[in-house]
Amino acid sequence: MIKIKELSKNYGSNKVLKEINMEFSKGKVYGIVGENGAGKTTLFRCIAGLESYNGEIISDITPLKNHLGLLLTDPFFFSKITGKEYIRLLCKARNKENIDIEEKNIFDLPLNQYASTYSTGMKKKLAITAILLQENECFILDEPFNGVDIQSNIVLSEIILKLKELNKTVLISSHIFSTLSDTCDEIYLLRKGEQIKSVHKGNFKTLEQEMRENTIGNRIEKLEIK
Amino acid sequence: MKDYFELQLVMTNRKIKEAGVNPVLGYFLGLTAFILLSEYIFHKTEFAKYLVILACLSFQFRLSEKGRTDFLLSIYGDNLRNKIRVLENLIISSPFVLILVYRSLFPEAIILFSCSITIALFSFHSILNFTIPTPFSKSSFEFSVGFRNTFLMFPLVYALTAISIHVGNLNLGLFSMLLVFLVILSFYTKPDNEYYVWVHANTPKSFLKKKMMIATINSILLTTPIIIGLLFFYLAEYDLILLFLLISILLLWTMVLAKYSAFPSEISLQEGIIIALTLSFPPLVLLIIPYFYRKSIKNLKFILND
Repeated sequence: MIKIKELSKNYGSNKVLKEINMEFSKGKVYGIVGENGAGKTTLFRCIAGLESYNGEIISDITPLKNHLGLLLTDPFFFSKITGKEYIRLLCKARNKENIDIEEKNIFDLPLNQYASTYSTGMKKKLAITAILLQENECFILDEPFNGVDIQSNIVLSEIILKLKELNKTVLISSHIFSTLSDTCDEIYLLRKGEQIKSVHKGNFKTLEQEMRENTIGNRIEKLEIK
Repeated sequence: MKDYFELQLVMTNRKIKEAGVNPVLGYFLGLTAFILLSEYIFHKTEFAKYLVILACLSFQFRLSEKGRTDFLLSIYGDNLRNKIRVLENLIISSPFVLILVYRSLFPEAIILFSCSITIALFSFHSILNFTIPTPFSKSSFEFSVGFRNTFLMFPLVYALTAISIHVGNLNLGLFSMLLVFLVILSFYTKPDNEYYVWVHANTPKSFLKKKMMIATINSILLTTPIIIGLLFFYLAEYDLILLFLLISILLLWTMVLAKYSAFPSEISLQEGIIIALTLSFPPLVLLIIPYFYRKSIKNLKFILND
């Protein structure tokens, strides 16, 4: 369980997160949605311990970061490290040794090639494979579906449901609403750093409709496309 | 073209400022360090001229990286791109050429000058299509990446050791060992991406211990051919060879700790000066290592959640 109480984050005078209160239970999948700059990534970085903040983040797993699989929006890769070496590095960092990486290469990645030469989607799949092999208790997946092909997106959705079945806590952000409605139990909506609402599975359709109306408004008419 | 160089100047000044130094002072200190270092290496070794040429060319090869030159081509076109590249290389090479001229090494200065212009007209792939095998793929990314970036150096250095044995010059052999360590030190000049530190389930202490242990084992592995060769042919001087190895390892620890004492930023100019002083007067490591160690522990506390 992860409990966030009154979490705020400022960059100078810029308030990027304002008094956030959330609770994430085991065996559930949570979605965080919001426009670009709404504070999703900052929230994830605070939970992971990559950012300082005001407020509290309490977890029954301590330290949380040592049991957290973090997928960043844009994972960083060294220029001359192979896919296999990357996975081994991340597993060893969590004291997971002797894993048959080739056997677990479910996305059929060219593991002996430099990871920096991979396409965006392949890089994401590599990073996901690595955090899955770390055997974490919680997962934060920031835009896991971005740049990944449709087939792998289906696999990814199934993996998320499997993690739920294994009683893991999963937090996902995505701009593709359908992927969230397929996998999440609850979705939190952020707007300009504020927690607007949380919606349970039965009401996802209403949330999607609300977001569409709110986001689109009369913007397209303004363009006067001819 | 003027805009391009003005932008380069702004970017350089920004980098110096980020290191916490006034740009004017930064240029002055950089130039002073360059002059002192060249004085030092010319005083220490007869191979200094080659080091000067190699150092200059390595900078220029980096500027000729294909992605970079293609980017310049897309903005400025072929003709202007070549002019920019030539001018860049001439600016880079000027202090090195001046040092060679000052030392009356005129043929070497002319060769370096000509190479600078020639290299500017070519571009080189920094990423090869094949994966360079490394003995360190199971141990650490610093050595995997570093080895792949510098692997050509090692046969040359081992050849230098063989020459030192052939001509009976122990100092040259020790110099080849020093070269290996200098190459290894370069593996630790860039700060880690924060994710690669965060991901470790370690305390700052155990994290640093692991990093230093890996650096020690892998550097000994790379210097083993040199150590064995020197000990076999200069057994009477075993104490000097082992002392040299010990000092090199201590300098390596200094570098590893300096990297994390500056984390997540790059090693600053002040820290660079401390390292340079330590390199020129190794007993300083006894003071510097505890200093960098304490600073690293303090820096890593937050990200490793200790």
